Amino acid sequence: MTAAARAAGGSRARADPALAFTVALLWIAIGLFVLYPIAMLLARVFVDHGHFTLGGVAALVTDRNQVAAFRNSLVLGALVGLAGTLAGFGFALAATRCRLAPWLVRAIDVAVLLPLVSPPFTTAIGYVFSFGPRGLITYDLLGIGNASVYGLTSTMTAEAITYFPIAYLTLRPMLAAIDSNIEGMARSLGASRLHVFRTVTLPLCTPGLANAFLLLFAASLADFATPLILAGNTFPVLPTQAYLQITGLFDLRGGAALSFALLVPALAVFLAQRFWVGRRAFVTITGKGAGQAPFDSFSPPARAVLCGACLALTLFVVYLYALLAYASLVTAFGANETLTLRHYRVVFSEGLRVLGDTLIIAAFATPLGGLYGVLVGYLVAKVRFRGRIAMEIASMINYALPGTIVGIAYLIAFNDPPIAITGTALIIVACYVFRYGATGIRTTVALLAQVDRSLEEASQGLGASDATTFRRITLPLVMPAFLAALGVMFIRSMTAISATIFVVSIGWTLVTVKILENMTELELGVAAAFSVVVVVLVFVGVFAIGRLLRLARAPGAPAVAGMLSA
Amino acid sequence: MSGSAKPQAIGVSVEGVTRRFAHAVKGDVFAARDVTLDVAPGEFLTLLGPSGCGKTTTLRMIAGFEAPDAGRIAFGGQDVTRLPANQRGIGFVFQNYALFPHLSVAGNVAYGLRVRRVAEGEIATAVRDVLALVGLAGYESQFPAQMSGGEQQRVALARAIVIRPRVLLFDEPLSNLDARLRVDMREEIRALQRRLAITAIYVTHDQEEAMAVSDRIAVMSGGTIVQTGSAEDLYHRPATPFVASFIGRANLVPATIVATAGDRVTVEALGRRFGIDAGTRAWRAGDSARLIVRPEAVTLARPGEPGALQGTVAARAFLGEKIDYAIDCAGVRLQAVRYNAGPGDLLAPGATVALTLADDALAIVADAGMGVSR
Repeated sequence: MTAAARAAGGSRARADPALAFTVALLWIAIGLFVLYPIAMLLARVFVDHGHFTLGGVAALVTDRNQVAAFRNSLVLGALVGLAGTLAGFGFALAATRCRLAPWLVRAIDVAVLLPLVSPPFTTAIGYVFSFGPRGLITYDLLGIGNASVYGLTSTMTAEAITYFPIAYLTLRPMLAAIDSNIEGMARSLGASRLHVFRTVTLPLCTPGLANAFLLLFAASLADFATPLILAGNTFPVLPTQAYLQITGLFDLRGGAALSFALLVPALAVFLAQRFWVGRRAFVTITGKGAGQAPFDSFSPPARAVLCGACLALTLFVVYLYALLAYASLVTAFGANETLTLRHYRVVFSEGLRVLGDTLIIAAFATPLGGLYGVLVGYLVAKVRFRGRIAMEIASMINYALPGTIVGIAYLIAFNDPPIAITGTALIIVACYVFRYGATGIRTTVALLAQVDRSLEEASQGLGASDATTFRRITLPLVMPAFLAALGVMFIRSMTAISATIFVVSIGWTLVTVKILENMTELELGVAAAFSVVVVVLVFVGVFAIGRLLRLARAPGAPAVAGMLSA
Repeated sequence: MSGSAKPQAIGVSVEGVTRRFAHAVKGDVFAARDVTLDVAPGEFLTLLGPSGCGKTTTLRMIAGFEAPDAGRIAFGGQDVTRLPANQRGIGFVFQNYALFPHLSVAGNVAYGLRVRRVAEGEIATAVRDVLALVGLAGYESQFPAQMSGGEQQRVALARAIVIRPRVLLFDEPLSNLDARLRVDMREEIRALQRRLAITAIYVTHDQEEAMAVSDRIAVMSGGTIVQTGSAEDLYHRPATPFVASFIGRANLVPATIVATAGDRVTVEALGRRFGIDAGTRAWRAGDSARLIVRPEAVTLARPGEPGALQGTVAARAFLGEKIDYAIDCAGVRLQAVRYNAGPGDLLAPGATVALTLADDALAIVADAGMGVSR
């Protein structure tokens, strides 16, 4: 930015027609695919034949089933938050404070991240194979013939296993960023290891733990697939109730109202995270390690217990996935366990169209979402224009809201003219771009925050114009954020379900939806085979993008947070 | 770089430049207030002052990274106040070097030349020559992250001078280097600036560094220039107590003007009278003032010296080649320094000593605060 432009304040957008055009275009897109659907959802809840009504919301407090769903969702979220944060913290401690061999930490990383790159219900399916009526443990090992796997405990366990890697990914850099001299200092003042942990390490982590809890709470609140498979009839939760209300009873208003009930706790979590936890962070993640040997927090027995527990959980995750792979290779898991490729034949014959649809949609959503994320991120972080803050907030809405709400909002908004795009691929692509593109915005903003202003000034001082500076300096530095955004977009396009289940159609459907159908039709082998194929595809995609990322990153260029943590 | 004619050096003039910031609590804050400077062609001028004194803001306005709210900046007579930084022809060396992390050393150094659309062949030669000049021959393909702080500093310097700037600007360029390297680098910077005959403006808070490299120093405080002059001027004839205590060490002894005669004044301090240079200020008898006594201007001797002041050694610090003493004399504690003449020469705390002050090493300043808003 030139000095004159900076001195002139917010007049830049007016001065630069290309910028004004870009901003206008983004506002139209955000208005159409973020604000309009949410407005239509609220209208559906509160307006009946042109009159304001509380009827839709009233049902939420009078219908006992729905009250139970609301309560169950909160209980489940809190339990998943607690269990997942505990597990994630344990893993983070093991990775940063136990002086494990680097290869061991990497191996744990890969295993732990499995749930994050799989469709969200993969753990749930593995769980059924292990603890269901014909489960490996319940039936084969314990000989229980009619084990009931459905209910709170199973849902909670499966969700905790699915989402604890999020806690791990937020807590690990935080622990690594704590200057180990602080802990060393406390130790030198005579405190025992346990005392140091209790009075120094833990308090420094409190904001991070609170943040992790909230993230997991929100993830559980929004999770739709796990309860659909594992909650059963006796444990209704909001997202599944909303889904059944719409697909089973064709009650769009009821579904909208239920998703609105979901909005309240989701919003509370979002605000708590932003305004409460955000202000209490003691540890700043700079991307630079403290550069010292990590503090040795644990006595040998304590370390053995912690590492043992982490190893056990890791093995359990691997076991669930191995079970899934095995189930995909036998005729009927638990009944007829002769090896067969029959399920894969189904996947690559009848299932080919679904795979094709999913890949086509991913192929469009990935670059578009990456571009959208980096563009908005750059504008928000670096350029002054009117409505900048508003754009930043608006662009985060679809990401912050539970997928169920976004899906129902899209269903309501785009079913009828003026914009009737239900049944097209466009609606699915738009849903992905405006929901998961937001992670690219955050990555870009975080990356640009690390790029010192003096770099652009140095370029300017050497005679480069604003355009040259952007092309030669800013763009190459933002490249890693773009690639990371591509990674997230690809993973989500292949695995997401909570929002898109409402917008798939006969013309365009997704693998994840197909897997869920197979599960409900009890074609477990095919569901398992599909899941394996998706996990493999995602790994291939992530590996390819990771390779590009490494190529694009010159030595010394600022690093981006891994694409998985976004 | 070499082989071609040196461009004619130009002067820089800064006239009444002011920069305000809106501060949440304090309201309008002046980062620079009516700053006026004239830098002669080829001169090395340093802006010196404590942090927050406005020196960096002033430099950034000269560079064009910030626009002044009032005032005028000219390069060689051409008004550049509204000219963007990329058209001013400056070479800027940042405190954090601001090397482009995604470009190699050669890419960094060549950047300004590529922007100027210099032919690639010429660029290669220029990059090689300038890297040799800063002692980094053969480093072309290294990346900034692989280099030490001192090497990065040299790359930043090479990148700034290779475009043959009209003015070289330095923003605390040595503050991230260790003490030894700092001394080497400042000498190299000075030698290079002389050799290239480029007008240079240098910002630092380190008075020793300022004195070592500069033709002239402008001491800043609270957004304004307090005094401009050569290192000797500032040291021997400080205009304010602030300058006296910021440049070197000084005892500020309460004093009263007894009589004036032309450019000489008689002052009374420590119960004695001293006849000294009046400096630039018009004094009247009865004015209260501060007598500037540099520690090295205090001569210590065994008691009994005729005509000397009497004092008591309050404390001493043995520094090897010299010894710092604190002497109580006529109700004032004075810092004094003496070269170490041998173990028998030390004065013990509590000992009575005779002090003499050399009249021509003394200066007088007005007794009006410290002129700092710290």
